[in-house]
Amino acid sequence: MDQTFEITEDDGGSVPVVSVAGEIDVATAPQLRDRLQARVASGSSTMAVNLLDVTFLDSTALGVLVGALKRCREAGGDLRLVIAEPRILKVFEITGLTEVFTICGSVDEARR
Amino acid sequence: MSGNGSMPPAAGGDVVELTIPVKADLVVLARLTAATVASRAGFGVEEIEDLRLAVEELCLSLVGADDNGRLRFAYRRTDDAVTITCTFEPEGTGNQEARTGDELSLRILDALVDEHGRNGDGREATAWLRKRRARSTL
Repeated sequence: MDQTFEITEDDGGSVPVVSVAGEIDVATAPQLRDRLQARVASGSSTMAVNLLDVTFLDSTALGVLVGALKRCREAGGDLRLVIAEPRILKVFEITGLTEVFTICGSVDEARR
Repeated sequence: MSGNGSMPPAAGGDVVELTIPVKADLVVLARLTAATVASRAGFGVEEIEDLRLAVEELCLSLVGADDNGRLRFAYRRTDDAVTITCTFEPEGTGNQEARTGDELSLRILDALVDEHGRNGDGREATAWLRKRRARSTL
């Protein structure tokens, strides 16, 4: 279930970081979409989405991230992803999205 | 590798059936069942994770979060494979139809399972997949 799904935001560094924990699926992806849309609407055209604590991710989640990336780039910024877990990275690889996103191995790297 | 659309042969094995309403927060039950059946079939951890994601994409290839109806699953465990069929049964008499699957879902299915396919269009459709156990775990 999605009891452990959580989104937190950190504006402390040069690039704001939205951290997600738990499973991003058809049930939880709308929450992430709303948070990312709100951030872009409030002026954050460049941000990082930290997926280090994500345990499952489906094509609904990919769609949300691609939509957010598009909005960031239209606003002149970028959306970086933080991924270390091979199982999560695999989903981006098999869909060809590693060529689309800037993927970093750590939050520090994404903030540079 | 995509299937040609014909149903997989229903030959032998143990079958577990699950029916859920089309509700976003219940699709996790389809994943949990897939993981349990694959585990009991001797699949490795990575294969189980592949199957969890694949069954999710199977659902998403048929329905969206706003659809109404039921999803009926059959999980068949045989000596060397797990075969999962998912049938969307719409509720009501409206024009609601099964979806045709988006590109991301189909790419994921292509990469994670040995065969997949689909039967039927319109109001009721069935999508299926088959994943064979890796030789090292046979």
